[in-house]
Amino acid sequence: MAAHLSYGRVNLNVLREAVRRELREFLDKCAGSKAIVWDEYLTGPFGLIAQYSLLKEHEVEKMFTLKGNRLPAADVKNIIFFVRPRLELMDIIAENVLSEDRRGPARDFHILFVPRRSLLCEQRLKDLGVLGSFIHREEYSLDLIPFDGDLLSMESESAFKQVANMMIRMKREFTGSQNSVFPVFDNLLLLDRNVDLLTPLATQLTYEGLIDEIYGIQNSYVKLPPEKFAPKKQGDSGKDLPTEAKKLQLNSAEELYAEIRDKNFNAVGSVLSKKAKVISAAFEERHNAKTVGEIKQFVSQLPHMQAARGSLANHTSIAELIKDVTTSEDFFDKLTVEQEFMSGIDTDKVNSYVEDCIAQKHPLIKVLRLICLQSVCNSGLKQKVLDYYRREILQTYGYEHILTLYSLEKAGLLRPQAGGRNNYPTIRKTLRLWMDDVNEQNPTDISYVYSGYAPLSVRLAQLLSRPGWRSIEEVLRILPGPHFEERQPLPTGLQKKRQPGENRVTLIFFLGGVTYAEIAALRFLSQLEDGGTEYVIATTKLMNGTSWIESLMEKPV
Amino acid sequence: MDCYTANWNPLGDSAFYRKYELYSMDWDLKEELRDCLVAAAPYGGPIALLRNPWQKEKAASVRPVLEIYSASGMPLASLLWKSGPVVSLGWSAEEELLCVQEDGAVLVYGLHGDFRRHFSMGNEVLQNRVLDARIFHTEFGSGVAILTGAHRFTLSANVGDLKLRRMPEVPGLQSAPSCWTTLCQERAAQILVAVGPDLYLLDHAACSAVTPPGLAPGVSSFLQMAVSFTYRHLALFTDTGHIWMGTASLKEKLCEFNCNIRAPPKQMVWCSRPRSKERAIVVAWERRLMVVGDAPESIQFVLDEDSYLVPELDGVRIFSRSSHEFLHEVPVASEEIFKIASMAPGALLLEAQKEYEKESQKADEYLREIQELGQLTQAVQQCIEAAGHEHWPDMQKSLLRAASFGKCFLDRFPPDSFVRMCQDLRVLNAVRDYHIGIPLTYSQYKQMTIQVLLDRLVLRRLYPLAIQICEYLRLPEVQGVSRILAHWACYKVQQKDVSDEDVARAINQKLGDTPGVSYSDIAARAYGCGRTELAIKLLEYEPRSGEQVPLLLKMKRSKLALSKAIESGDTDLVFTVLLHLKNELNRGDFFMTLRNQPMALSLYRQFCKHQELETLKDLYNQDDNHQELGSFHIRASYAAEERIEGRVAALQMAADAFYKAKNEFAAKATEDQMRLLRLQRRLEDELGGQFLDLSLHDTVTTLILGGHNKRAEQLARDFRIPDKRLWWLKLTALADLEDWEELEKFSKSKKSPIGYLPFVEICMKQHNKYEAKKYASRVGPEQKVKALLLVGDVAQAADVAIERRNEAELSLVLSHCTGAADGATADKIQRARAQAQKK
Repeated sequence: MAAHLSYGRVNLNVLREAVRRELREFLDKCAGSKAIVWDEYLTGPFGLIAQYSLLKEHEVEKMFTLKGNRLPAADVKNIIFFVRPRLELMDIIAENVLSEDRRGPARDFHILFVPRRSLLCEQRLKDLGVLGSFIHREEYSLDLIPFDGDLLSMESESAFKQVANMMIRMKREFTGSQNSVFPVFDNLLLLDRNVDLLTPLATQLTYEGLIDEIYGIQNSYVKLPPEKFAPKKQGDSGKDLPTEAKKLQLNSAEELYAEIRDKNFNAVGSVLSKKAKVISAAFEERHNAKTVGEIKQFVSQLPHMQAARGSLANHTSIAELIKDVTTSEDFFDKLTVEQEFMSGIDTDKVNSYVEDCIAQKHPLIKVLRLICLQSVCNSGLKQKVLDYYRREILQTYGYEHILTLYSLEKAGLLRPQAGGRNNYPTIRKTLRLWMDDVNEQNPTDISYVYSGYAPLSVRLAQLLSRPGWRSIEEVLRILPGPHFEERQPLPTGLQKKRQPGENRVTLIFFLGGVTYAEIAALRFLSQLEDGGTEYVIATTKLMNGTSWIESLMEKPV
Repeated sequence: MDCYTANWNPLGDSAFYRKYELYSMDWDLKEELRDCLVAAAPYGGPIALLRNPWQKEKAASVRPVLEIYSASGMPLASLLWKSGPVVSLGWSAEEELLCVQEDGAVLVYGLHGDFRRHFSMGNEVLQNRVLDARIFHTEFGSGVAILTGAHRFTLSANVGDLKLRRMPEVPGLQSAPSCWTTLCQERAAQILVAVGPDLYLLDHAACSAVTPPGLAPGVSSFLQMAVSFTYRHLALFTDTGHIWMGTASLKEKLCEFNCNIRAPPKQMVWCSRPRSKERAIVVAWERRLMVVGDAPESIQFVLDEDSYLVPELDGVRIFSRSSHEFLHEVPVASEEIFKIASMAPGALLLEAQKEYEKESQKADEYLREIQELGQLTQAVQQCIEAAGHEHWPDMQKSLLRAASFGKCFLDRFPPDSFVRMCQDLRVLNAVRDYHIGIPLTYSQYKQMTIQVLLDRLVLRRLYPLAIQICEYLRLPEVQGVSRILAHWACYKVQQKDVSDEDVARAINQKLGDTPGVSYSDIAARAYGCGRTELAIKLLEYEPRSGEQVPLLLKMKRSKLALSKAIESGDTDLVFTVLLHLKNELNRGDFFMTLRNQPMALSLYRQFCKHQELETLKDLYNQDDNHQELGSFHIRASYAAEERIEGRVAALQMAADAFYKAKNEFAAKATEDQMRLLRLQRRLEDELGGQFLDLSLHDTVTTLILGGHNKRAEQLARDFRIPDKRLWWLKLTALADLEDWEELEKFSKSKKSPIGYLPFVEICMKQHNKYEAKKYASRVGPEQKVKALLLVGDVAQAADVAIERRNEAELSLVLSHCTGAADGATADKIQRARAQAQKK
């Protein structure tokens, strides 16, 4: 069912099965018919672990979105709220429960906190006088959602810092309560997004990265404009064009997608055309099929071939859509400016392209992304430049954005240069962040994912595995935040002997989000023959520059 | 060996009963048993004695003593009874002593005579006094049934979860019934009462008359009744000297026996073994003990002294001043092996092993005999099983030795049963020891489970033994050692004569970091004993902050709780403490506390942002955080205020705050915003239309679109909009209006700071090629090719590109040469390229 999760070195399907089991157990605790009231935010992540059919098997008859006032009518015995532990949501739930029709049939209320129960929320329910109405109040620890064979995400917008300390604590707390587990991972690398503010700001240039940049991938689904996907039939003069967005799931269960997702977009076209030839050749085979046995064999391959053809058609359409964007002049101009910044050209001056974007009132997020990129690539902007940009933004987009500017400053994305020193060139040179000779078709270095820029975060991971961080201590000192390494001694019984040629597995945990391009870069490293390390990636949130800036924007009114 | 079956007494054809001594009691009883209220707990539990002075003379001047002994007669507790008259004693399933007083109050004591709690059986009982009471056990726990002076029954099926039920009235019951008992059927407790010749069954709803089937005629009264350990069977002793035995449902009769004694027996209890077909009753009179079953004869014993019967799962314990005995049906395995002239495989194996030890060849003969019948496996199993039923280690050993011997001749005999039996017997022998005094049989032990046995050892404070058992059986630490250590620690904290430091240190030394030990539970116990300081010290050892916090809060150590919560990194926990603190402290102190805890402060700010905006402001004020205060006012100017004046006032406050924060930029920007707001208001008044909340840029655009160019100019000047942007703005606005004339005028007003390419682009966007061409000619040389291509003049674009000798531009033009008409141009470019290469 979710075979794509079990391919990797570490079988993540186990994780998915575990959360599914937990969900079933909870549902079975509430006997009788049920309606689920969803915190809208949770529906996406839940879709990755359980389909409606699973819920239906456990007598879930209705689903609603959590809203104020009264619950919609439903002839069910149980009402279950699936919510994040948020005070605002508690207020809504209380409203729901209190306005429940007393004369109606008695119903049982339950609440499932995702991912954690919260004393605070329960206190709030108590204050509102409804705590007693809930029969089961439980937590559902949907912490890490398996997205793909090597990718886990917590899908939470905000995450803790200083997790490392806490993990060491937790280790002490949980000893004894858990049996010794045979370790699946050899190393764990925790990376705080603060260390690398730069990478997400740049436009991702891998296939998957571009899909995300342009259309936004939500919980592994993407919604695309439908025109390109209209079935091409003769006589159908396009009057029945579908108007609803085309929704596609993207993961490595799809063979073709697995092959092209992490490629630089410029290398995707050739793969697609090669694939097209292979498939049509395969279909041509039927003319060669003479004997009954041959025909039978051909027919048995048909479903697979048809799926492949469908998949090819989809991705060809997507690639066309993306190409329309990437060949546009504006995209080219923007990319040029980004690359100038990242290679350290004119980062200390007001950029005229950015100026023009503001003057033409391009989307604010685009402008902010560029300015933040410039700021990060210059270790902060000169006060004069910064004030000019800010004034332009306030005058053009409205003074209310002063709050957004301030929160970007707090996040370190858009700030004045401290001490008048620009550390970025040192970092860039030592870590070889800018590579001039990029081979987009057959990459030799991770820099292909941004056509020149090698993501800092991934470079750090690469250097950690070989030759180790001792060689770059100078740079680590400049990077924000402390760094440290901790060795965890294993009981001797659990130490495994590595087979010759067997790679080490590193779990790399991005605190504060990771981009698809970074993932692509890590997968590239995993596949390197002499790399010696395979990566499994976990994160608090899958993100790109746009969603990141969006989360930092504050909109009054 | 010859005398091994000497204490076996046959009852009927198929069963033997044997009685053996468990302990010789050396308790120094001052009283006769008959003068005391006696209660002995099942499963080899403790014995409680209370001299009953209230029975005879009223208001005895001497207070009686309540004594508790182990089953072997070791004193566990002795205390002076200071409360009211006691009617009945009984042990709960948790080995707590329930003392039912005449006034219906039930006092609960621990095994060591420590008072636990008390509860009342209700007003009705209080008024009518207690006539008689029974403590009984069901699957739900221990219950109390009471017969009041008004001849009514009140019952609680579980004293742990006290729910009193008053049973219906029994018709014609004017005086105390001759006998009664509690039953448990279909998960409900019932009462069976004998009134003269009639029997009544009471449940919570009704009182129904019942008749035991096949009862011998002539009964005018029931003298005694007994219900079996599992509530499945019932026995009735009639005044005609008959004993009727049947099912507890009174639907079926098992047998009836005429014992020819009409004197009411002192005690009557069932003696049967689980999974045995034999049913027997043990009846005790002053000096006579009789075992009666489905057989014409009975077994008779003489009682030398006052004795007391304790029904067990698989037999009856009988104790007196001097001894403690166990009477039970001989188990099948033992019978098979030891029955005289038995040829059972087990018996032969035992014999074979003995011969083997004597180095006699007969061993081989016996063994061969078993093997020929193919019964060696069965023989080994029999020996193992029989060993379990032996009380004396010597006999256990010899049976196990036989089993072990037999095992040698078997392939693939699974060793678990043998190993487990050895382990179980070691545990049993240990707890049966005189000093421990828990005479459990193997069946009882299996029924009870090791967990419960450990609990009982812990209750008796036999921690070292319990730990040894855990280690011996290799129980998981969480279930075993850790749990016992935790219990020990809980006991330790109650030792008031030891100082806090010493207790804490002692506990930590023993427990260390033993996994699964909850220091917070121990601390909670310490706090329960009023030792707050000790509790805090113990909590220091608790690794899970989440566990420390709630107790600290309970102990009103909120500030400590706060720092612990912060350490835990669990925001939810921090919030919980914060809200607690907020209610506990006054605002000033609360803020001060927050100030010392930056993380708590920032979390609280988060909370306030969503929940209590005003508090947030106060917080910023207190911290002199002017920057945040400014942001706060900005937010307020958008969210809270409707009227312009209010918004401006809020912005003014924001600006002031920004100045204080030395954020000149923000202050100026805010002042600009105020200026803009006022201006927009004026514009709306004067020109109509919607201006409020437009950005400055959009305001100017709107003015141009509305034809108010002068005002637009003025505004741009006032706010110092940079020239470049102003040009873009005007260009976009005029193109939107399609006011080409004005656009041209504007383009000529001075040299464009943004060049003329944007003019071309925007005209083309509006599909006005004619206008676009006008500007194309004015585009500077750098962008000229692009502009010409935009307006579709490929030929000229080629000329310019060739002139500029720019390879990139040439390619660009070439890529635009698509139509047939462009053929010439393309050739031209190719030629130019070739020429360039020649040079």
